[in-house]
Amino acid sequence: MIYLDNAATSGIKPPAVISAVGTALRKYNANPGRSGYKTAMDTAYKIYDIRTKIKDFFGADTEENVVFTPSCTYALNCVIKGANIGYGHIVVSDIEHNAVMRPVWKLTEEGKAYFTAAKTYPAEPEKTVQSFKNAIKNDTKLVVCTHASNVTGEINPIEKIGEFCYEKGIAFAVDAAQSAGVIKIDMKKMHIDYLCIAAHKGLCAPMGTGILIARKPLADTIIEGGTGTSSLDFTQPQDMPERMESGTVNVPGILGVGAGVEYIKQRGIDNVYNHEMRLAKYLYKNLTENKKIVLYTPFPEEYKFAPVIPFNVLGVPSEKTAQYLADKNIAVRGGLHCAPAAHKKLGTQNTGAVRVSIGSFNTKNDIDYLLNMLKFI
Amino acid sequence: MDKNFFVTGTVTYAVKGREALRRNGIKAYTQRSFAADRIGCGYGIVAVGNIQNILSILGKADVKVLDVKSIDNNSN
Repeated sequence: MIYLDNAATSGIKPPAVISAVGTALRKYNANPGRSGYKTAMDTAYKIYDIRTKIKDFFGADTEENVVFTPSCTYALNCVIKGANIGYGHIVVSDIEHNAVMRPVWKLTEEGKAYFTAAKTYPAEPEKTVQSFKNAIKNDTKLVVCTHASNVTGEINPIEKIGEFCYEKGIAFAVDAAQSAGVIKIDMKKMHIDYLCIAAHKGLCAPMGTGILIARKPLADTIIEGGTGTSSLDFTQPQDMPERMESGTVNVPGILGVGAGVEYIKQRGIDNVYNHEMRLAKYLYKNLTENKKIVLYTPFPEEYKFAPVIPFNVLGVPSEKTAQYLADKNIAVRGGLHCAPAAHKKLGTQNTGAVRVSIGSFNTKNDIDYLLNMLKFI
Repeated sequence: MDKNFFVTGTVTYAVKGREALRRNGIKAYTQRSFAADRIGCGYGIVAVGNIQNILSILGKADVKVLDVKSIDNNSN
């Protein structure tokens, strides 16, 4: 199969990731925070080492900042609901995924918050930053912004947005579902308070792995339960990361995350990004030569776009094109990609779009095969 | 040399503290703990050396220490 749906999950996992999952099931098959026997403690040491790797990779402050979650969506819910902004104002971008929009909307429906969607301008970072500045109100407590859109691929200028959030004392959360492991992120330099990561995407970890890196405490938890600590107290413990990790953590998945981080470090994150962008630019350029293809985004300039390209075939519904390509053994995704806001902006809310999302294992041959198949639709 | 149990509560603090102490040349290992009179289940660090020095190293590493017990008296 030609796998070009890496924005949904990385379709090929590096051998080291697969091996790490097997090692976890064989060697570290004990609960890491509940007991004191050797295997349990060895597992706890391993998990701690991986927290350290993640902390260093994303420029966080301490290992306690690193919380393992089942998904990026879960991490975003922890932040948006847990920030407990007290009937305050939230600013989001106008291209957010439902992982952001649904929890924000729920708070709005419950009368616990209200929000403004700041307009973003693809490849025009200064205008995007100004738009966020204009959206800020006196009672703005939280800014949540996607780093890279899962529909358009546009990269938001999070370093600049983070800078003014820091100056204004507003908490800043970044949805890095599409960027973590693809584009360099330094939480301290970018003034990111909460980084939400889909480890199974850019970091090539197993599905069911997410990470929340919280540099500031969150007032509330979204689930409570066993942490292996302070068990006489029915109140949820305060100490991080256990406060946010009630229940047994996904040890095989977390070892996969550790191996995924190592894989990206070894390849070099800039090398990964440049490789994927070379293919994205090649694809875009060749799609423009096919008169049947409708493109919705500007040419994907480096560091202004992630390797995601939405398109349609003239007069053909996106799901039909995706199915045609599936029949040719090509994996892409049609529809709205759980991001109706971004599609509304593109004008594709009624048709959806076909999304090609390139990963670290893709080759020029993969793109050539896709381009050839699109000639015959 | 004094051998004491430094109650950290969480396993993350226990491992972090162990690493900090070892970096400073102090023999230390983590251990599960139970204190029926206080917090219930948790973790801590067994370490050999001057208590104040150990607490200082743990403090610099931002490791919370909830209690210190002589190794002979603790209820692990």
